[in-house]
Amino acid sequence: MMKNRVDYQQELDQFREWLGYDFMSLALAESAEYHYVIKWKYATGNLNDCFKGIVLQSGRGIAGIVFKTGKPMIIENVAQHIDNELLFNYPIVRMEKLKSLVAVPLWNDNRVAGVLLGGFRNEQRVTIEMLHQLDELAHQGIGTLNGKELKLS
Amino acid sequence: MSISNPNYSINSLMAKLYENSMEAIFFFDQHGKVLAMNPAAEEIVADDVLEQLYSGQANAICGVCRGYMSETELRTCLTCYFNAPDVDDFSSFQVYLDTKGKGIVSYAASYHVIDSDQQLYAFMLKDLTTQFKTQEKFYQNTMMKHVIEAQENERKRISRELHDSVAQELMSALIDLRVFKYMTQDTTLLQKMKHTEASMTRLLDDIRNLAVELRPAALDDFGLEAAFRSHFKRLQESYGFTVEFESTLCQKRYSSEIETVIYRICQEAVLNALKYAQTDKIKVSIYEQNKLLQLIVEDEGIGFEIGSDPIGTGLGLYGIRERAELVGGIVNIYATPGKGTKIHLQISILD
Repeated sequence: MMKNRVDYQQELDQFREWLGYDFMSLALAESAEYHYVIKWKYATGNLNDCFKGIVLQSGRGIAGIVFKTGKPMIIENVAQHIDNELLFNYPIVRMEKLKSLVAVPLWNDNRVAGVLLGGFRNEQRVTIEMLHQLDELAHQGIGTLNGKELKLS
Repeated sequence: MSISNPNYSINSLMAKLYENSMEAIFFFDQHGKVLAMNPAAEEIVADDVLEQLYSGQANAICGVCRGYMSETELRTCLTCYFNAPDVDDFSSFQVYLDTKGKGIVSYAASYHVIDSDQQLYAFMLKDLTTQFKTQEKFYQNTMMKHVIEAQENERKRISRELHDSVAQELMSALIDLRVFKYMTQDTTLLQKMKHTEASMTRLLDDIRNLAVELRPAALDDFGLEAAFRSHFKRLQESYGFTVEFESTLCQKRYSSEIETVIYRICQEAVLNALKYAQTDKIKVSIYEQNKLLQLIVEDEGIGFEIGSDPIGTGLGLYGIRERAELVGGIVNIYATPGKGTKIHLQISILD
């Protein structure tokens, strides 16, 4: 487990260096005995550690939505996409003051096992190409996640 | 007819009544021509219709009349009181007039013969707007109470069903699944089972969350303090907001109605703070003082100007007041731009 922790953090730091995001983080599903929660486990470029306490319900928040749908997500301008009064539903965006972001699912054995997020603290910094690039990266596997997506056809 | 005081004659009294009454009085002949109308009547009729009335046009009153309430219809011109005063009883009915400056107003009216030989009629109107408003308010209040009660009961039922039945069934299926793990050495099968177990655990969690969000069982089973503590813990976990909670209630219980009102108002007030205050700290205190149950929700966020246009729908604060009224509670809202907001609810409780 200790080895994984180091791996994920190093990988994430490296990604940020390559891709130039202000902030990147990795959410993983944590399985407790009778609960199943999603948490932002690793981050790089973060303003503080507040995000660590956040437990996301499936379908809630950036990670919750990507986790549940298994679809990548792009928000070019947070102010336009999310009403200010609903911003509290997206703690990571609020706490890290993100203004544009992309988020992709991390697959493992045909299931979504986590979410990778890259964000900027100013608007209009993300493009569809960046979303594809991040998605491709996620499909190559991160840490112990093999990136194998479930294809229905 | 007798009059007790010789200083007054019935004629002078009637003249005074006619001149100064708040009631509008019209006199008509059998053709619907106005013979006379008092100042209160002139007041409510628009100028052009007034002219028609005075010039003696028949049925000029139709220019202001917008129908009356019959036994079968809310507003109608069928069997008009004016045309057929003898057919139905028009000693007291409700009529709608398009009044000068006040739009359509409903009046309690009477239309009856005062001289059957000459066929003279008196039409008298009493403005009932305030009474109707009061009545409507009372009615609305009762309706609101029933609606809220029905909603809470339905939520309680679904929440219980989810928690006690659906979640329990799923739980036993999950336990069965866990037992399977010890019955095989097949690693692919084990891996697959692990995934299924994860999915089912997540589903179980979703169902539990749904149940708590509908209506926390803790509120019914353990009371306000317990329900608040778990609600605030969830806020902290899900949204990263810290709620500083103070309570001196311990495990004291109140009527289910009061507990529901307090819980829902607090929930709404805290949600408002989350949405608009732009702060991550909220203070909630609940205590009993002078036979009053008190709830205070305050934040040191951006506040707002009381009476200004709401940023949201504005229904939140309205709903808070409505709910408080149901149990005879009083809500005070204090807000200063830049300094924060405080909501204070007081409900009287009887031992």
